[in-house]
Amino acid sequence: MSTAKQSATWDLQLRQLLLPKLDHDASECEDAIAFDLHTARFAVTDGATEAFHAQQWARNLAEHWVRNEATLTLEEFRNWVASEGRELHDSWKGLTLSWYSEEKARAGSFAAFVGVEIDLKTPSWKAIALGDACLLHCRDGALLKSLPLARSESFNSTPILVASNAALHESTMPSAMVDSGVCEDRDVLLLMSDAAASWCLQRFEIGDFEPEFLTTKVDEELRRFFDTERQAGRIRNDDLAIVRIEIKRRSN
Amino acid sequence: MGDSFSGDSVRKKAEFVAEVVNHTLHDLVIRCTKTEEVRNYYHVSVIGYGRNVSTCFSGPLAGRDMVPISDVADYPLQVKSSYKRVSDGAGSWVEIPVRYPVWIHPTADGKTPMCEALVRVKDILQRWLSEHPRGFPPTILHLTDGESSDGDPDEVGRQIMTLGTDDGPVLLFNCHISTRRSAKIEYPTEETSLPDGFARALFAISSTLPTNFLAAAAQLGVHAVEGSRGFVFNGDPSSIVQFYEIGTSLTGMTPYKWMDHTETS
Repeated sequence: MSTAKQSATWDLQLRQLLLPKLDHDASECEDAIAFDLHTARFAVTDGATEAFHAQQWARNLAEHWVRNEATLTLEEFRNWVASEGRELHDSWKGLTLSWYSEEKARAGSFAAFVGVEIDLKTPSWKAIALGDACLLHCRDGALLKSLPLARSESFNSTPILVASNAALHESTMPSAMVDSGVCEDRDVLLLMSDAAASWCLQRFEIGDFEPEFLTTKVDEELRRFFDTERQAGRIRNDDLAIVRIEIKRRSN
Repeated sequence: MGDSFSGDSVRKKAEFVAEVVNHTLHDLVIRCTKTEEVRNYYHVSVIGYGRNVSTCFSGPLAGRDMVPISDVADYPLQVKSSYKRVSDGAGSWVEIPVRYPVWIHPTADGKTPMCEALVRVKDILQRWLSEHPRGFPPTILHLTDGESSDGDPDEVGRQIMTLGTDDGPVLLFNCHISTRRSAKIEYPTEETSLPDGFARALFAISSTLPTNFLAAAAQLGVHAVEGSRGFVFNGDPSSIVQFYEIGTSLTGMTPYKWMDHTETS
């Protein structure tokens, strides 16, 4: 893989999976995945189902963030989200809306966000997250770090999310989390929306998760696996977004 | 319902109740709105009783006993325009335009034919349950300002409480409102604390609050514990608001605290 932050020593291996809720069409999926090899940024977002144009907000956040060079400090992130929110709300001007859609539009849209930037020269990562989409850093099958949530029981139905309405940022943005880490050969970074992250953390907690399984199955096998898990209730029936990034030493 | 609450010389009970019901319907619509579509997570019936027992919907919804929430959304009697003060996020307040839909107007006349009203409710429920045997069990939020004028509601109340779906029994919650300065009793666990036979009669036909409703009560700062009945006696205006918020807080949804932050002009 070639990135602007590439190195002669280190390389990335990428795998991604985006699945809508069971019995839903892919066009209804409110999770989003984006990455940009030039900036070496990867993002997963999860639009809040009941919010106004949540799918658009989730996609905008993911796709625009990975193209950015800044936004890895809390202040930069807040200013950037405010600008994205204004753009989103401006796009709704002129729409003829029912009273209830008008009210939803006024409240704005909401999404969980996690984004990571990888510097292969070091190699290391920096991440920013708000909500319950998570970054998990794994080494040798063990979980080194998970953010912004670290335990499966921390997930609930009312996470603080990235709001498009800047009036809410005073109360929501203090919950945003910035973190960083150093990678070794074969370390795995997982970006996941909430249902997958909760399931994954639970598997780690009982000592039954092997990050390699995401590479040993082809896409169709993975889809069937997650469909079965959701049908059985072991994973909540929600959209699933998973990005697996493996840091590997180049072979000479 | 034609008289005023104690301490409120201006607003009649019927006006306040109509306002709360309109806000409740508004809240349900907003919860079910996904961008520009209203999903039919709820079917709603609003029955009033006084001179007669009938559905309170009028206009395009006139005569309909049970209405899917998308139709409720699309057919208010009118949509009023107003302004709401909200925080601008930077320490100041701004006024933003808002629209308030109205579905029911206040009425207050006649007696209190509670039994006839509950029989009507039972009939509506039986029809709905036959069509939705696997649905979330219906919740009945019964509001009254006085004793039944057509007999003891115990039998029909208990009949309603025996109805249900595969998912559980119908929930019947009762809220008695009073114009007297009597102590209110909210969500009691036993009837020994109740002052008279009328209160005990309503307690007997009030369902126990399921866990999800207890969580909603806790969020509103209302004292309710395991074993609490969905019952309020001598309720005041805040009791009514909370009764509707708790009663519509299905599946652990966060109550919509419209009374906390709304200022209109």
